[in-house]
Amino acid sequence: MKFKDYYSILGVERNAGEDDIKKAYRKLARKYHPDVSKDPKGEEKFKDIAEAYQTLKDADKRAAYDRLGSHRPGEDFQPSPDWGRDFSGQFRDGQTSFDDIDLSDLFAHFGGGGRSGRGHARANMPVPGEDFEVTTKISLEDAYRGTQVTLNLSVPEYDEHGRMRHAERTFQARIPKGATDGQRLRLRGQGGKGHHGGRDGDLYLNIRLHPHRLYRVDGHDLYLDLPLAPWEAALGATIEVPTLAGPVNLKVAPATHSGQRLRLSKRGLPRPGTGTEGDLFAIVQIVMPPELSERERALFKEMADGSTFRPRGHFPQEKVHAN
Amino acid sequence: MQTERRDVLWLNGSETISITELAGVAGLSEADVRELVDSGVIMPMNPADLSWTFSADCAVTVRKASRLRHDLELDSHALALALALLEQIRALESELSQMRAQQAADSRA
Repeated sequence: MKFKDYYSILGVERNAGEDDIKKAYRKLARKYHPDVSKDPKGEEKFKDIAEAYQTLKDADKRAAYDRLGSHRPGEDFQPSPDWGRDFSGQFRDGQTSFDDIDLSDLFAHFGGGGRSGRGHARANMPVPGEDFEVTTKISLEDAYRGTQVTLNLSVPEYDEHGRMRHAERTFQARIPKGATDGQRLRLRGQGGKGHHGGRDGDLYLNIRLHPHRLYRVDGHDLYLDLPLAPWEAALGATIEVPTLAGPVNLKVAPATHSGQRLRLSKRGLPRPGTGTEGDLFAIVQIVMPPELSERERALFKEMADGSTFRPRGHFPQEKVHAN
Repeated sequence: MQTERRDVLWLNGSETISITELAGVAGLSEADVRELVDSGVIMPMNPADLSWTFSADCAVTVRKASRLRHDLELDSHALALALALLEQIRALESELSQMRAQQAADSRA
């Protein structure tokens, strides 16, 4: 069993009072709770903090924890034979082996105070499977078509004595087409397995999209930068635009200006449950050749000399500068 | 009820969810859900009816409420305030990401 220093996780002394432990927990929980924290490690940290608090806030669990002695965090250790004698009666079936068990699982069973209470069901009682909530990142193409994701989760399981322990398990989950960034989805029965006729748990997916090379995503609408040469913008053009369903031709009208949004209707992501699709917006960007050839320079010069266009006619006054 | 048995549920505004199912997804009682309605955290789509129906995205809020109440030991006023502020942050982030998506790449540099 790997040792965890619950006191240092909460940042309190070993002789801290109940109130100090509660205060420390609340402060850390506000900082790292996955629902309020922006810390990418928040969820992991909060798990440790909650685990430490679950044990230290309960006088009996805390006493038993203290009797395990002090070890280095992560150090492999075995409770002393004394500990086993004094406390194994606290476990159903009188647990005497502490190999291959997580410290949190040990205390979850202790003294009848498991958090979910599920571990204390009689061995033949229906035990519902655990719900899991997972954030998964998929590509925009996969969101468009639907995809299957493989998830590796550390899940609580019950052994033949009904004792809980955590194990790494692999889950396959099918994400139907039409998810978008921040979308949440419940997959019924795809969480932990129920036992003795208990229902299987559900899997909650929080879907995030990887940034895409071409498209930016807003809900089910997509945005694409459409670079145009000055003459394409001036004279109009038919441009082949990539969409998730393959290229389509887009007609650019003459005298199109930079920043203009051209809508390709229904070329965005499908909206689940509605039979509709988002749109794809191409945002015009007028770009210049990085270097002008002699010929291009001459043509632009000719246009400059021959044009009466005043792009800044609305400015108060403008002196004409000779080039 | 046909809404009670769905293998895939999009937790967004396009689907609906009964009060029983909503309580179930968050591990709360229906009374807890009614309390969240009373404190203005969520709104049923048919407040005048006897059996309430909610937009499925309420499941996200209610699950969050259940976690926050348990993990941060919040009372119902503090919970309602925390959820309202989190919702404001979510709305602002969504507006920000919308503006970023709509802005051409060259002006985002």
